[in-house]
Amino acid sequence: MTKLIDRRQLLAGTAALAGALTLGVRPLAAQEGGDIVLGGSIPLTGVFAFAGVGIHAGIQDYLKILNDGGGIKGRKIKYVAEDTAYKVDASVAAFNKITGQEKVSLYYGDSTGFSKTINPELERRGSMIMAGASFATELNDPKKFPLQFMAGPDYTEMFGILLRYIAKEKPGARVAFVYSDSEFGRDPITPSEAVAKELKLSVVEKIVTPPGSVDVSTEVLKLRRANPDFTIFHGYVLAPIPEFVTQAKQMGMKSQFMGTFWTMDNSTVQRMGDAAEGFMGVMPYRYYYDKDGSSPMLEKIRQMRPEYQSTGYLQGFVTAMLMAEAVKRTLDAGKELTGANLKAGLNSIKDFDTGGLFGVPISIPGNSVPVGRIYRFDAKAKQMQPASDWIKL
Amino acid sequence: MDALFLAEVTLAGLGAGALYALTGVAFVLIYKATRVVNLAIGEILMLGGYAFLGFAAGLGLSPWLALPLAIAAGGALGWLVERALIRPMLGESPISVFMVTIGLGSILTGVVQLGWGADPLRLPEFMPSAPVFIGEAYLAPKVAIGFVAAAVVIGLFLALFRFSRGGVALKATAADQGAAYSVGIDVPRVFSVAWILACATAAGAGVLVGAIGGISPTMGVFGLSVLVVVIIGGLDSIAGALVGGLLIGLVEALAGAFLGGEFKLVVTFALLLVLLMVRPYGLFGTHEIERL
Repeated sequence: MTKLIDRRQLLAGTAALAGALTLGVRPLAAQEGGDIVLGGSIPLTGVFAFAGVGIHAGIQDYLKILNDGGGIKGRKIKYVAEDTAYKVDASVAAFNKITGQEKVSLYYGDSTGFSKTINPELERRGSMIMAGASFATELNDPKKFPLQFMAGPDYTEMFGILLRYIAKEKPGARVAFVYSDSEFGRDPITPSEAVAKELKLSVVEKIVTPPGSVDVSTEVLKLRRANPDFTIFHGYVLAPIPEFVTQAKQMGMKSQFMGTFWTMDNSTVQRMGDAAEGFMGVMPYRYYYDKDGSSPMLEKIRQMRPEYQSTGYLQGFVTAMLMAEAVKRTLDAGKELTGANLKAGLNSIKDFDTGGLFGVPISIPGNSVPVGRIYRFDAKAKQMQPASDWIKL
Repeated sequence: MDALFLAEVTLAGLGAGALYALTGVAFVLIYKATRVVNLAIGEILMLGGYAFLGFAAGLGLSPWLALPLAIAAGGALGWLVERALIRPMLGESPISVFMVTIGLGSILTGVVQLGWGADPLRLPEFMPSAPVFIGEAYLAPKVAIGFVAAAVVIGLFLALFRFSRGGVALKATAADQGAAYSVGIDVPRVFSVAWILACATAAGAGVLVGAIGGISPTMGVFGLSVLVVVIIGGLDSIAGALVGGLLIGLVEALAGAFLGGEFKLVVTFALLLVLLMVRPYGLFGTHEIERL
């Protein structure tokens, strides 16, 4: 019979085990009472940089307020971010780097693609919850994405809010969807058709434009023939919406044009020029300048930053706030900061006051916060102004 | 089928095609004279849009003064790039030069983002906004203006190559550099002029494209769709860029109108594939083009 393990192997094995134990134990020890880390794959450059820069500032500002106020049970939240240029591979690399260097409990991801790609790894680690810039309908499924959430309604819920408003304003209205041929653009289209049907609205045209297309004359011609009462754009930031609206108005179309969250920044809509007048859309948060009602958190933001802050900023700010609330609830319950506990803490949020950032108290029963309000651009005030009450789905 | 709709779609397609053609000319000018495939042309186009914005909105100049200044800025950049980056690369492998232009594109995108930020922006409105009707068919005014501008510029270039001494020198350099040297043509100067003209054209096209679709640091991808145009037309043929541009514009418009927007690129690239199989050097290109 041969020996199963010789002395040398045993020694090596013991050394390795000891090494692993020391390495493995140290971060655990550091976690007790240490900083809580919020990691971020943030698009500071690339096509989504217009929002990424705001998101980055929003997260930092909220954490500054929180940490200056003593943190959560004396523990501060430390923000560690990397630029991703809005590329999935760079986001994954940033995730690996940050999670390799820190014990991360919270993570901000920059795209639907990243959220989907990293999900198995997130579940395997089970040590953090994640939110991000994506409001993809797909991610709003607690079974498939148990450790993720979004700080607002998903894209289909945004359409739902818009369609409910339309059905109330003009029952039986003719609606057209114009969207970009991208994951972002296609996301809410099919489910929203079903919602429109339920609300007895007719979807008379669906126009898809290739990403990055400049000239939309052909698409406007199609839209004119469909002659919708309402046209909803999705999957764009600015271009090609202004040219679309300008040409449609020149042709004498009377359609009401609408957009979803990432188009709704006040400065973005202002840049539409003449096309901006009357442009409507759905927003889950109050705007920076909104002084209606009580919003102490907006007041604080205005004190910290006297100049206008974008909707991306508010999104980053609110996301960090909800994450911090999840941490607080988990620690209050005396539980360890694991992904599952954090998510349970987050889901226990009910009728929560965000300091007026959301116009109504919010609950997070699943992965989204299905609340929003319709705003309309007022060219005289150069501002998006409320056109409806807060709509909860 | 509705004849009016078809007419309108055709007009819209030709309008979009004219912008492709104009940018295509910028590709062709450089390739024809220097055998460099300049992949940064989309970014130079972008820079033209931003330069216009800087002059018109930043400095508050009249758009009609800002436009020639933006074009001149494009030309100046062309001169600088040729002298500083491309000339030292003379004699290096085409792949190296190609990579230099890709790097240049990234740098320009970064510079624009540093200067103006990452937000998409709109150019000040300076074109007449009264809709154009040809018969009963509607044509967006900016598209119509873009078409006329592109037609004039391309016409000028064609005339330049046929009748002017500089144009003939450029053609001679394109045909045979050694022979051009031996008859006293200042070849480096021809290179320089080609880059200046091409980048000025691209900057002008950038103002037109930006006026229609707005500007952002990522608008350089427009240059990539134009690459298809010049490959179809022939990399060294100005007439090819014109025909290729109009053809692609038209095909995209028809595909978008009758098949749906998701088919625009599929149809365009299918056309490219078929054409490359039948005429690997493009519709009007010279046979002995060296492929990269």
